[in-house]
Amino acid sequence: MSSKDLSGNHHHHHSNDENGTTTTTITTVTQTNHNPPLHQNHLNLFNINIRAEFAHHDPTIARINNGSFGSCPNSIIEAQQRYQLRFLEQPDDFYYNHLKPSILRSRQAIKTLINANHVDEISIVDNATTGAAIVLQHVKWCFFENKFNPGDTAVMLHYAYGAVKKSVEAYVTRSGGKVIEVKMPYPVSSNDEIFEAFKKALELGKSGNRKVRLAVIDHITSMPSVVIPVKELVKMCRLEGVDCIFVDAAHAIGSIEVDVQDIGADFYTSNLHKWLFCPPSIAFLHCRNPELSNLHHPVVSHEYGNGIAIESSWIGTRDYSAQLVVPEALEFVNRFEGGIDGIRKWNHEKVVEMAEMLVKAWGTNLGTPLDMCASMAMVGLPACLGIKSDSDALKLRSHLRNCFKVEVPIYYRQPKDGEVDPVTGYARISHQIYNTDDDYYRLRDAICNLVSSGLTCKGFQD
Amino acid sequence: MGEIRSHEDNNNTNNEDEDNNNNNHNHLSKKSRLLSFITQSQIKQEFAHHHTGVARINNGSFGSCPGSIIAAQKRWQLKFLQQPDDFFFNQLPAQILRSRTLIKDLINADDVSEVSIVDNATTAAAIVLQHVGWAFAEGRFNKGDAVVMLHCAFQAVKKSIEAYVTRAGGSVIVVHLPFPVNSVEEIVSEFRLGLAKGKLNGRKVRLAIIDHITSMPSVVIPVRELVKICREEGVNQVFVDAAHAVGSISVDVKDIGADFYVSNLHKWFFCPPSVAVLYCRKSSLSSDLHHPVVSHEYGNGLAIESAWIGTRDYSSQLLVPEVIDFVNRFEGGIHGIMQRNHDAVIEMAKMLAKSWGTILGSPPEMCPSMAMIGLPSCLGVLSDDDASNLRNHLRDQFRVEVPIHYQPLKDAEIGPRDEGCGFITGYARISHQVYNTIDDYIKFRDAVNQLVQDGFNCKMLVSRG
Repeated sequence: MSSKDLSGNHHHHHSNDENGTTTTTITTVTQTNHNPPLHQNHLNLFNINIRAEFAHHDPTIARINNGSFGSCPNSIIEAQQRYQLRFLEQPDDFYYNHLKPSILRSRQAIKTLINANHVDEISIVDNATTGAAIVLQHVKWCFFENKFNPGDTAVMLHYAYGAVKKSVEAYVTRSGGKVIEVKMPYPVSSNDEIFEAFKKALELGKSGNRKVRLAVIDHITSMPSVVIPVKELVKMCRLEGVDCIFVDAAHAIGSIEVDVQDIGADFYTSNLHKWLFCPPSIAFLHCRNPELSNLHHPVVSHEYGNGIAIESSWIGTRDYSAQLVVPEALEFVNRFEGGIDGIRKWNHEKVVEMAEMLVKAWGTNLGTPLDMCASMAMVGLPACLGIKSDSDALKLRSHLRNCFKVEVPIYYRQPKDGEVDPVTGYARISHQIYNTDDDYYRLRDAICNLVSSGLTCKGFQD
Repeated sequence: MGEIRSHEDNNNTNNEDEDNNNNNHNHLSKKSRLLSFITQSQIKQEFAHHHTGVARINNGSFGSCPGSIIAAQKRWQLKFLQQPDDFFFNQLPAQILRSRTLIKDLINADDVSEVSIVDNATTAAAIVLQHVGWAFAEGRFNKGDAVVMLHCAFQAVKKSIEAYVTRAGGSVIVVHLPFPVNSVEEIVSEFRLGLAKGKLNGRKVRLAIIDHITSMPSVVIPVRELVKICREEGVNQVFVDAAHAVGSISVDVKDIGADFYVSNLHKWFFCPPSVAVLYCRKSSLSSDLHHPVVSHEYGNGLAIESAWIGTRDYSSQLLVPEVIDFVNRFEGGIHGIMQRNHDAVIEMAKMLAKSWGTILGSPPEMCPSMAMIGLPSCLGVLSDDDASNLRNHLRDQFRVEVPIHYQPLKDAEIGPRDEGCGFITGYARISHQVYNTIDDYIKFRDAVNQLVQDGFNCKMLVSRG
């Protein structure tokens, strides 16, 4: 595989040897012009000028953290602003005549995208954090209404997202549930390690005559980022008779294939502003059996009792415009060859390529095998940087932002006893269509710079 | 005194040395020493995005936002899009704190920790009621303990009570307030009676929810007095739903004395949709309030929890400083605006009442920037459906946007009558905001007169699905 830009200055060759090991040869000719190459061959662009679509991105920043806040092209922002204007022009007319059908349109588009059975199963909410609150509040009621018994357990990954952990504390622990964390090793070398750990947690959850009432499973964990084999884990939960199987897939849509029927969870939530080019913020909550589940949006409006999808479509006066541009976002991705699948594949190829480049440059390792990465990869940082805590990781992140204008989240990994010169820091690099190779060279060089100047996290300011 | 403007009014008021006679010596009035105030044509420009040709006299439902605030909002939105991480870490928390601090002064709260910013009053109600729900579930309240609400409470609030209180085993006491109403004393005595009746079987009343300005029908409620009555009657906590208050009447939360007080800022305070302030009086109880959307900030206090509920667009919450600049371009700042809105809406209400031969639903001193004006009885508004059908008809056929309220008669023989001696059962809630002109109300006046002349009756309208 190779990619040639317009000026023919960069050549990236992937070649597989007999063992299937991929080597990357990068031949670089330094460009003297200031225009980064437009991706041509692998992403056929029909009338899209990527630079123009993302012209609002700060051009001085090497923006390799698409995972945290996502990104949105100009044409979608403009579509959103048209909706905002319609509301401001005549809000009553917008509310009575346009809002509901527009939200329905978005829900229908999402239903098709994720292979749901029926549009009733799709609710649109602000973000995965809200989706989690909805599911967990339902679990709270199950405890209070004595459907679950005090001491019954909830299983979630140790690497679950911080907000979700807090939500589980706020709703499940507080109402008498007991939380069991799935302790996975990191770095992780295969799905088997995940199956092992999950099985152990389920067994612990059932011990002492308890029932596992809730499983919270990430589709792609946030920090450290790992693609989790959710389909298999959901199967394991079904075999155990877990009442509520909830997949937190915040990162999934747009970076990995999503087929909710195939995955088979009770509840599945994903953000569309992270990897599907929608503006902040919009997520869907898929509910396999909405009538039976009795979910409610915590912000109660006059729609209370009309089903979670309808309740979520009106939670008081606010700006719903981000929820209305899903059709436009899908139109945008379909301008690329292969649509969202083509984009996903491209992002994956590129992030893998760049991850391997960095690992080679720094002499470190990846956090997971490449087939457990989607559009993000965890790249080990040189041990000499001395990352010894979460706060060190944050300091390094700020330092990279302030001194090198590189935006990338850093993860601190606690070393095991006895490890010699452990890799304790990982950079979570991402690739989205606006990225250029230069972004990753800048990260590479920044870290090499820090290493050669002997700087460690001790030396960074708070 | 009323300063109802017309299209042709191009008054350019010049004030060299603004006389600071008004006793408002807080920082908000310093800016009234402007050389010139905003002109009528500048106001028109600020609201140029409003649909021309529509008589927009429903500012109460969704509010309104001037062009310069929308532009300021876009600048904040752009900052996020440019470099979201930098915005999140380095700008957002400070900007939310800035907004909260200004709001604290605006409503006379003691401490900024008492001021949380949420999406809207509906969200605030969910926060307070979820807190009540936990108390039932965790045995601090007993099954059957009661929550008090007004009969005309906003529908979302009623449903929230059902979702969090009734479902958890609590009971509800409904207090009916009179409408049409003739005096503040009527409200006070009805409330006292209703609360006492509700407590007759010895139930403990845990929370009272009182509107500061009811929505439909719209009346200013003497909340300070009602809060006192609640305290006298042993009600644990009082929550004032003041969705309409900030920017239409004076708000002094300390003086009002409630435990919780919420007001939207996008209705009458020129913020874009949406933003509301939830005030929680410092006390050991208020530390147990939580935002229902739980983030990593859980446990750091409601204000901090509300400042981050996951990735979303917080820009509408960051514009309080720009809004204060905006209102200070008007003579008298926000107080001047409130006074002129009130005077104008009363003037227009009287004009309509005279033309239609009907009445105002409450005396002027119980009207904020809105007024309830009786509709001619011959229109036949005899149900909630009639009211919404008539509203749609006015929008579609006459391009008048105004909410209609159906008020059933208490007694078949007694009730307010119009000049034709029929009973008045339909009321329009007209509003006045700085962008309105007299033509808006003339258009409405003429539309209704046309309907009367044509022998129109709501029976002729078909309900929308």
